[in-house]
Amino acid sequence: MKLLPFEYATRNLGRSPVRLFLTVFGSALVVLLIMVAGSFMVGMQAALDVSGSQKNIMLLGAGSVESVERSEVGMDTPGIVAGSISGFRTRAGIEGVSPEIHIQMPLKVGDEDRLVLIRGVRSEAFLVHDQVSITSGHAPRSGRNEMVVGKLAARTLGFNDAKDAIDTTIMLDDDAYTISGILEADGGIVESEVWTSLTDLQITSQRDTLSCVIVALDSAKPSDLEMFAASRIDLELVAISEDEYFSALSKFYKPIEMMVVMTCIMIAIGGMLGGFNSTYAAFASRVREVGTLQTLGYQRGAIALSLVQESILSSSVGAIIACGIAIFTLDGFSIRFSMGTFTLSMTAGIIALGIGSGLLLGVIGAIAPALRCLRLPIPEALRASE
Amino acid sequence: MRTLRVIPTVLKQIKRSPIRSSLTLGGIAIAMFLFVMVESMRSGVQEATEMTAGETTLVVYRENRYCPFSSRLPQYYEDRIKQIDGVASVVPIQIHVSNCGASLDVVTFRGVPRDSIQHAIAKDGVIVEGSISDWKKRGDSAIVGSALAKRRGIKVGDLFSAAGIDVFVAGIQETSQAQDKNAAIVQLPFLQEAARKGGTGTIVTQFNVQVENHNNLELVASSIDETFAHDEHPTSTFPEKAFVGRAARDIVQLAEVAGMLAWGALAAVFALVANAVVLAMRDRVRDHAVLQTLGYTGWLIGWMVLLEGAIIALIGGLLGGLAAFLTVQFGQFNMTMEGVNIEMATGPSAAIMGVVLALGLGMFAALIPALRLARTDIATCFRAV
Repeated sequence: MKLLPFEYATRNLGRSPVRLFLTVFGSALVVLLIMVAGSFMVGMQAALDVSGSQKNIMLLGAGSVESVERSEVGMDTPGIVAGSISGFRTRAGIEGVSPEIHIQMPLKVGDEDRLVLIRGVRSEAFLVHDQVSITSGHAPRSGRNEMVVGKLAARTLGFNDAKDAIDTTIMLDDDAYTISGILEADGGIVESEVWTSLTDLQITSQRDTLSCVIVALDSAKPSDLEMFAASRIDLELVAISEDEYFSALSKFYKPIEMMVVMTCIMIAIGGMLGGFNSTYAAFASRVREVGTLQTLGYQRGAIALSLVQESILSSSVGAIIACGIAIFTLDGFSIRFSMGTFTLSMTAGIIALGIGSGLLLGVIGAIAPALRCLRLPIPEALRASE
Repeated sequence: MRTLRVIPTVLKQIKRSPIRSSLTLGGIAIAMFLFVMVESMRSGVQEATEMTAGETTLVVYRENRYCPFSSRLPQYYEDRIKQIDGVASVVPIQIHVSNCGASLDVVTFRGVPRDSIQHAIAKDGVIVEGSISDWKKRGDSAIVGSALAKRRGIKVGDLFSAAGIDVFVAGIQETSQAQDKNAAIVQLPFLQEAARKGGTGTIVTQFNVQVENHNNLELVASSIDETFAHDEHPTSTFPEKAFVGRAARDIVQLAEVAGMLAWGALAAVFALVANAVVLAMRDRVRDHAVLQTLGYTGWLIGWMVLLEGAIIALIGGLLGGLAAFLTVQFGQFNMTMEGVNIEMATGPSAAIMGVVLALGLGMFAALIPALRLARTDIATCFRAV
């Protein structure tokens, strides 16, 4: 089969600058919409898809397995647990039993309150949550009203570069706290939290109970903790693995996530329909041209291929423009929500999605009108108006 | 009359390009579906958070607390609030939810003292099944809002369990208030004991205060906060709707972001109709020349173009608007955060507004091509062929 030269497709693009502009603009808009929708979905799912460690067991107040913030555990529980069960992870004589308070409280930034999840911890927390590390500054010291902020929490507090937050003083309730460091946790939900000393948080929040006790297992088994919770009915505890807790939490947020996913999908479909409409119109009117090419001896397949080449060229230019806009203006844009802060990340996957949809738009957008043009007998096609 | 007689011709022209018309209609329908859904959500948020004249309810909450789990006020504050000038009545309320975060279909329990049940029932609330006296008879009984009962398939006499609380359904309340139709009212002592380890004794989440004169709402609110400013548990007092707006800030923020989406949807309708009409005009230059030869005036052809834009937008708008209206009607979507409920407005106003806007935008998008065509003389049309 004799193919049309590639130059034919490229030169054709310049024949009608208005049409070229409309097609490129249309496909750029569609690809941008799809990329934004995709990164929003991925960002939200990543924020919710926090899998805790199966080796970490949470001891929560009975009846509070749905929310650690609702849970209340006695202050003496960590000591009783450590004394009753052996086989927890131990480093330098410190046992992996972390008493914690989880509470949403507003941090005052300027005149505005920014609601952040604050976790009151002791040093054992860094042994239990071993994916958490302090990348700048130092851990909060008890009695000094210090806090470390997650990378995403720093954004919530108005610091684009988390390091700028260090040494800043922030009001929590009526107490002044100093940011002493930045914590990271491989992109997990902890990065949208603020950690402070357990005792300091107890004083500020006027709490005399813990939210939970989290233990890191070594040779001990989850069933040991379940047995302990079942036998010590006076403590009113329930044992659940961190993994199970977070998957239940994900289920709670599922309806909102589904709503966002459906909206994103609809935006993408709407965009695609609009894009097809533009490309279809751009090619469907070229019946006579197609007839002429057939008269010159080019087979239908070759003509269709040339039209697809032309369409892919224009739509991929649009896709590249959209990728540029997305990377330079939208990458890293953070969105705050009650389950934490998440960012629009233009990852390799999202860029591939953008380029892929641009190419798909080009292929499908050209095939349908090309078929319509090629279906007509040559004399009829030659009689058709441009 | 001629302006109406051309309608069948316009319809035929739309049907002549079925693929292109379907793509345009599909795009418009999706855009209008999104617009109507977003508008229903925005109306719901507006209705729940914007103060209205004559509002007389204040909510007293723990200062700097947002979540019902962390707002803890001593129940004895009730007597001190009652003594403040301008206060008509005070109801201590314990709120219990499964989670403070924003989600759909969250069950909210409200614990109120047995003798204050009349104040806890919505102003327009009617007990359609069961009765208040049944509610008073059992300590673990609940009056369930109609929307919650419908969503969960709850009937009077059922045992109902959510957020770690087991209750007996003693009544169903029918009301138009989102806060009430999605909540279950239970007895305060029961909730205080059932919700927390060892019970919470005399701790409540908030006080709902009725003021005698709505003009004194702000004055009474500041008097309450001043009374407890130096207490162990200082308070923040807000008019009820302002409180809902504060608590459901994520949902309000979501509605604001969604508002941009609604504008985007309208822009998409405009772009799709404009694109469809402009491209159709380019294809039909010869048809217009023939029509002019047959005696159609330029203005009549322009009118036909305007009608084409309007019809495409109207059909697309009707499809999307109707689908969104039915989705909201059957879905009865209710978002909850920090124990307050916001419902998507189920009235037809958003759908009607969407269809009217689609029609207007369709005509507006077709206006310029129509005017250009109306001013083109027959010779120019033929030259373009």
